[in-house]
Amino acid sequence: MAERCPHCNKPLPERASNAAYPFCSPRCRTIDLGAWLTGDYRIAVPQDETERDGPSESQIRGSSGDSEVN
Amino acid sequence: MANINDILERAEAPAIEAEDFGSGFIASGEEYNSDAIKVLKGLEAVRKRPGMYIGDTDDGSGLHHMVYEVVDNSVDEALAGFCKNIKVILHLDGSCSVQDDGRGIPIGDHGDGRSAAEVALTELHAGGKFDQNSYKVSGGLHGVGVSVVNALSEWLHLTIGRDGYLWHLEFHRGDTVVNADGSRIRRGEPSTTAGTRVHFKPDPEVYSMTEFSFDTLSARFREMAYLNRSLSISVTDERDEREAHFNFAGGISSFAQFLNKNKAVMHDPPIFVQARRRLDDGRNFEVELALQWNDSFTEQAVCFTNNIRNRDGGTHLTGFRQALTRVVNDYAAKEGLSKKQAEPLSGEDIREGLTVVISVKLPDPKFSSQTKDKLVSSEVTPIVQTVVAEKLGEYLAEHPTEAKRVIGKAIDAARAREAARKARDMVRRKGVLESSSLPGKLADCQERDPSKCELFIVEGESAGGSAKAGRERAFQAILPLRGKILNVERARYDRMLSSQEIVVLITALGMGIGEDKNVDKLRYHRIIIMTDADVDGLHIRTLLLTFFFRQYPEVIERGYLYIAQPPLYRAKRGKSETYLLDDAAKNAYLIRAGTEDVVVRGPKGEVSGQELQKMVRRIEEFRSTLRRLCKRLGAQQDDRVVAGFVKSTRLTPELLDDEGELQEAIQTGLDWLRAHHPAMGNPSARMHLAHEEATGHINGSIEVKTRKEGVTRTTHIDKRMVAGSDFRLLQTRISEVENALGVGMYTLERGTTVLEVDDFESILDRIFEFGSKGVQLNRFKGLGEMNAEDLWATTMDASKRTILQVKVEDAVNADSVFNVLMGDEVEPRRDFITANALNVRNLDL
Repeated sequence: MAERCPHCNKPLPERASNAAYPFCSPRCRTIDLGAWLTGDYRIAVPQDETERDGPSESQIRGSSGDSEVN
Repeated sequence: MANINDILERAEAPAIEAEDFGSGFIASGEEYNSDAIKVLKGLEAVRKRPGMYIGDTDDGSGLHHMVYEVVDNSVDEALAGFCKNIKVILHLDGSCSVQDDGRGIPIGDHGDGRSAAEVALTELHAGGKFDQNSYKVSGGLHGVGVSVVNALSEWLHLTIGRDGYLWHLEFHRGDTVVNADGSRIRRGEPSTTAGTRVHFKPDPEVYSMTEFSFDTLSARFREMAYLNRSLSISVTDERDEREAHFNFAGGISSFAQFLNKNKAVMHDPPIFVQARRRLDDGRNFEVELALQWNDSFTEQAVCFTNNIRNRDGGTHLTGFRQALTRVVNDYAAKEGLSKKQAEPLSGEDIREGLTVVISVKLPDPKFSSQTKDKLVSSEVTPIVQTVVAEKLGEYLAEHPTEAKRVIGKAIDAARAREAARKARDMVRRKGVLESSSLPGKLADCQERDPSKCELFIVEGESAGGSAKAGRERAFQAILPLRGKILNVERARYDRMLSSQEIVVLITALGMGIGEDKNVDKLRYHRIIIMTDADVDGLHIRTLLLTFFFRQYPEVIERGYLYIAQPPLYRAKRGKSETYLLDDAAKNAYLIRAGTEDVVVRGPKGEVSGQELQKMVRRIEEFRSTLRRLCKRLGAQQDDRVVAGFVKSTRLTPELLDDEGELQEAIQTGLDWLRAHHPAMGNPSARMHLAHEEATGHINGSIEVKTRKEGVTRTTHIDKRMVAGSDFRLLQTRISEVENALGVGMYTLERGTTVLEVDDFESILDRIFEFGSKGVQLNRFKGLGEMNAEDLWATTMDASKRTILQVKVEDAVNADSVFNVLMGDEVEPRRDFITANALNVRNLDL
């Protein structure tokens, strides 16, 4: 997929020349940081969702079905 | 070399000249000569100090002002409504001609034997610019008139079309060339076209640089054409046959678009505001504005007074800015667009990315300096303010989409400023980003070499406590984070990382943030996120991954970020204890235990030991694949029908093209369903055919009606399903089992226990039952249920644990999961989690 700035959705410049990656500019990165620092980023959880089982565990945990802790 | 005397002389010059001019009118014929001498003296002053009148004679600016001065006269004529086309030609001999189609300079006798035209070209300030009665606003670059151009030209030829003839006047270094017959103005050939042509050659005695620049002139004429929409100016350079033509029906709106060329604009066309007012003192005032936002971060304001650029803006710009700030804030407040903003939007934020062209026209404007860089006429501010407030308010009300976009951008700008300030404050707060003042929540390790250090970010205080107790203090640090829960509505809560926690995290990492970020200062080269295996844990992990990806992508790129793999189950059997990572691991464990000492017999053969383990795993795969296939069926369909047909028939895409075989298969399937699911009622089936001429295929499909949970279901089995990879995998698994055991009844034998089943899938359930016997299976609801020893042994001990390294793709994925989770719609969110849950790679470390 063509990478886009998570803040303004503009296509990103080349990674090598873009110190603000994954943003298009230091400015968008700063706005994002500001949003973290002001608690703007929230995941909304409807109450009923927590009562159900979450997505199946193997899917959360990655694809390997056989991995086992020794 | 302007000294104070020069400036005084220049400042007083107009008054003196006007007086002399006045006396010239009353003077009799005899006195004409002396007057003429005085006039010559006037132009001589120009030649003596050209810099005071026309600008620098060495760097080309004065040279080009000559052309502007002449063109300005034509523009005046255009503004008065008498001229449409101006043609500028740069000739091969270094001369320049400016021709317009105006009325032509008056040629009548001025009362002293000279034509009005001659007076205009030989006397300073003799033009119409000081005539208050006419609609005169053109600045003229210095207001000195074309006589200055004449004085500084080696020669000047004036041609006037007027009164049915062409009229010629010639000058040499400002002196009128007198014809052989003593006449000064010469009547030439008859002509019906009116207009004025000034052809002049800058005097090399005055200018050290006499090369006209096509580009410089074009730029200025382009500007003039934008500012006067009815005007058409062409420039031809005969030296290299270049030509440019400027005529913009869009006026300054086109100008704004031109300035925004190659930029993404927020709205198009530009917002255009225009008004004419009469000032209190009776002067006419005209204002035009064109504004257009682009997605850049800089403001570009281009201001003009009477077509003259005011580089430093002035009272017109001030009026515009004040009105803009007020109107936009009023609108945003009224529409509730700035609800989240603590303070009103600042003008600076609103003007970010704004390109504005302001053009005012009024007689007698006042400037702060001779160069007219700044308009200071104070009466301009309130009028511009009123006009902009009214018209811009109207625009916003009529264009809500554009208004929203522009205000969104301003809010963005405000947030950027606020965010930058917050980040700065955080860095400034003494030492907060230095390792000397680590947060109290962090239980740091003793080791200082980052390549040996690990940081566990642990969800919840209690798990954090276990982790602290269980860790290897030498090189493992623990940072408990729980995320903050906000009760937003009764049926909803929000999960977030508090700003406090973000700051603690940034501080613990020790590598700064934003501009000051330095990955070499990172204090841990393994950062391990450890969260519960539930929805909350998933959300906290998604938040953390997104935060790292957005603010610390280099940490992920260097492979420093990991996800811990705490077990989900503990299985106790006798004295042995086993931790099981997930459901798949649990099933594998149960199958291993459940196949011990078991023999399974079928009509064709028997299986046990390793073989049996393998077979049961295949049945398990059959079951999960079938589940996946059925999940894709709609709610109105019956998954048991699909299962029954898979087990009893051998459907292939080819078979669906054979009517006879298909009918047989349907019968087999129905029989199986009736035998195994008596509660289904009496299932009925129909066959659908869709003939295809070209291939001869009949594309048969099966429709089965059953009852489930008291509702009639209609299930379809078609070519697409049968040709799919899941369906084929199911067939393969069945064949494998049937090749080994045959078809029919199966028995499971373990010691003295013998069980009989009629469906091979049931073998799996019996094996699970065997496996669970004598096993105590505990599911950890969260990390907090594990004690320090459990946590150490399963998740933290580097010699035993499994941790997953986060790759950039995983983080990109987390970012998009995050975006979906931020949304309000529940359904797409749930689907998304299921479909895109992080596919992090397995990595043993």
